Amino acid sequence: MTGFRKMTAFAAAAVLLLAGCATTTGGSGGGGDPAGGRLTAAGTYPIESLDPHGAQGATTGTQLAAQAIFSRLVRPGADGKVEGDLAEKWEPGATAAEWTFHLRSGVTFSDGKPVAAADVVASFERMMTLDGPNAANFPGYKMTAPAENEVKLTAPAPDASIPRKLGLFYVIPRTVTAQDTAFFTRPIGSGPYTVNRFAPGEVLAMSPNAKYWGDRPQLANLEIRTIPDLSARLTALRTGEVDVVWGIPDDQLPVLSETDGLTVKTVPSTAVFTMWFNSSTPALKTAEVRRALWQAVDFGTIIKQLYPRTGALADGLVAPAVLGYAKQQPVGHDPKAAKAALESAGFDFGKKLRLQFSDAEFRPFVQAVASGLAEIGVQVDVLEKEKAVFTEDLLALNWDINFQQLATPTYDAASNLGRLYTCAAKRTGYCNKDLDELLAKAGESPDEAERAELYGQAGKIIWADAVGMYPMTVQLAYSWRARVTGFTPDPSGLPDFSHVRLAGA
Amino acid sequence: MVVRRLLIGVFVMWGAASVIFVIVRAAPGDPAAVFLGPDATKEQIARLTATLGLDKPLFEQYVRYLGDVLRLDFGESYRLGRPAMEAVFERLPATVDLTLTATAIAVVAGLALGLVAGSRPGGAVDRVVSAATIALQSFPTFWVGIMLVLTFALGLRLLPSAGVGTPAHLVLPAVTLAFPFTAIVARLTRSSVTESMREPYVQTARSKGLSERQVLLGHALRNSLIPVVTIVGLQMGALMGGAVIVENVFAWPGLGSLVVDAVANRDYAVVQAVTLLIAGIVMVLNIVADVLYIRLDPRIRTEARS
Repeated sequence: MTGFRKMTAFAAAAVLLLAGCATTTGGSGGGGDPAGGRLTAAGTYPIESLDPHGAQGATTGTQLAAQAIFSRLVRPGADGKVEGDLAEKWEPGATAAEWTFHLRSGVTFSDGKPVAAADVVASFERMMTLDGPNAANFPGYKMTAPAENEVKLTAPAPDASIPRKLGLFYVIPRTVTAQDTAFFTRPIGSGPYTVNRFAPGEVLAMSPNAKYWGDRPQLANLEIRTIPDLSARLTALRTGEVDVVWGIPDDQLPVLSETDGLTVKTVPSTAVFTMWFNSSTPALKTAEVRRALWQAVDFGTIIKQLYPRTGALADGLVAPAVLGYAKQQPVGHDPKAAKAALESAGFDFGKKLRLQFSDAEFRPFVQAVASGLAEIGVQVDVLEKEKAVFTEDLLALNWDINFQQLATPTYDAASNLGRLYTCAAKRTGYCNKDLDELLAKAGESPDEAERAELYGQAGKIIWADAVGMYPMTVQLAYSWRARVTGFTPDPSGLPDFSHVRLAGA
Repeated sequence: MVVRRLLIGVFVMWGAASVIFVIVRAAPGDPAAVFLGPDATKEQIARLTATLGLDKPLFEQYVRYLGDVLRLDFGESYRLGRPAMEAVFERLPATVDLTLTATAIAVVAGLALGLVAGSRPGGAVDRVVSAATIALQSFPTFWVGIMLVLTFALGLRLLPSAGVGTPAHLVLPAVTLAFPFTAIVARLTRSSVTESMREPYVQTARSKGLSERQVLLGHALRNSLIPVVTIVGLQMGALMGGAVIVENVFAWPGLGSLVVDAVANRDYAVVQAVTLLIAGIVMVLNIVADVLYIRLDPRIRTEARS
């Protein structure tokens, strides 16, 4: 063999060997349904980490994984009400600054060790030490274990929303330190599933936790895959490589609805399209101007055109499932009245308003709003910003109108109205002492009916003063294959697969 | 020569490390605010900024970063909660798989097409191949990917549409990535073979009584490989960097999606680690191409020795 031929043969062999060796781990075969009891789901966001206390703890991907692997003290039910998970019951102390949770007995981690109050306290302390996004919900809060099956959470001030906030807090074994990242490659939890394989940003493969205290999951295997591109996700659903997909935009729903073997369903989510006005912008200081701008846009038509199946004209600041929702008087479309109101308020039509948003998905909606405002002579600069820039500008109030799809995953207006509309929050440039007082009262009262009433009153002020425009409540679209039974679409985009079955499996 | 190239490589790596350090920090957006989200308190953002060392003067950050890089410490990704290079190495095999397979497809198909076309320049086959290569090079990668998915995954149900798992998962992304590269190799081989066929040594080979096939494969092709090897070395680096779109279309968990997420989230450690790794790989590939060049061309071998 000549040197040239030897070299060519070697190169060819090396290429084939390398190409054949790697990246052939797990996963379903292509082009058809995966084997019997395995359900494959593809969510809207990647799962980059299984650590519910760390930097990724608040992301949808990590929350979706965490609820399958770990337990919480309490969790939100399908109707938004708080349900016990590790805690059987809970009650506030003399004020809502102190809450006691009584733990369920006989619960063990997947390795057979019992879940004790010390594990709950250590997990809380770990979350606070890591100082990630979820820790921001509990500034200065302390957790103790007065008894083996009891934990007490103490807040610096009364906080009636503690049980709902704890829906984001997961319990892991007490032996896991803050720096222990290796644990999360194959973590031990007390949730319905255990991890078989986790490749960040690629796949999370799980099987039922034989030691789970609740009903044992019906699926033999559950695989959550990351498919970032929407069309790739939908193609995988249609080819049968994936069984469940959600977060589907409106324009894709007709095609899926017409595809044999697919079920398409939308479910009201906790999200509301929210367009704050920056009340510290001189042109937007008065409620009359802000109301007039809201009146100028034909949101009904925009929603009908862009979101016929996944949107509805909003009639409140938060979604109906959220504690504190109160129906408000709709703002009708009246461009003539809007223009007259602006003229009488001395509005400067020559000055452009900066309308910022971050996600390309919302571009048509935002542009339609800008176009509606332009019809009465209000000039708008539509600014689509990168997430990093958007967040920085949002906090610095470097905008005049800000678009966000605001969800309330705790199902409690405390984490929306109570957090975003106080003078101290400085989120919208709007400050109203009466509103502050109402929100503070609502945040302190352990009586849910009273809280709902107080948030309703607060909502009325915010709506009437047009702190923002609240055009649309969002429906979340799911689609799943015919072989999937018992699946319930979740309003928060965090479906629970523990009661799902596969036909014929 | 290799030693000289390695020394130059050290400067190239220093340059790449410095440029990426400046670029990521010049980009607007506060990493701590992005990591913690809009609900974080100012105190929390300040604490994280200090933890990340971003409260220090820029020059101090730079000196510390260079020192870490020299110790092969590429820092911790706060977002991912682990060392940046660990996350990068986790994704590297997928990108290497994709790139090597695409290169193999492009080299084999490109050489074959170029050889067939170049052996009879101006003929019908040449015209068809030339038109086909223009088309291959012109189609946008995302469009090719979507068309292949629609045909082979959705229509014929022959291949999986996305993800990894089996060798079949590799076929569509690798073919998509190989499309423009195949065209480049084919066009280069064609012109090189056409030129070689006019050289005196080909006439000599023919006059020795060798068959046209032997002349083509044993003499013309071997000499035509020299520019092809150079371009393969350069293009493999470009493929690694340019696989982002293909990775997105096929949910291929490689470096592309990792770096896109890292840039969007201002994850400096990961962006820096990926950039330096790719720069290092491109540098090594170029040295390998130079070595192969010497092996293939006796004239350069002699020059190098002297």
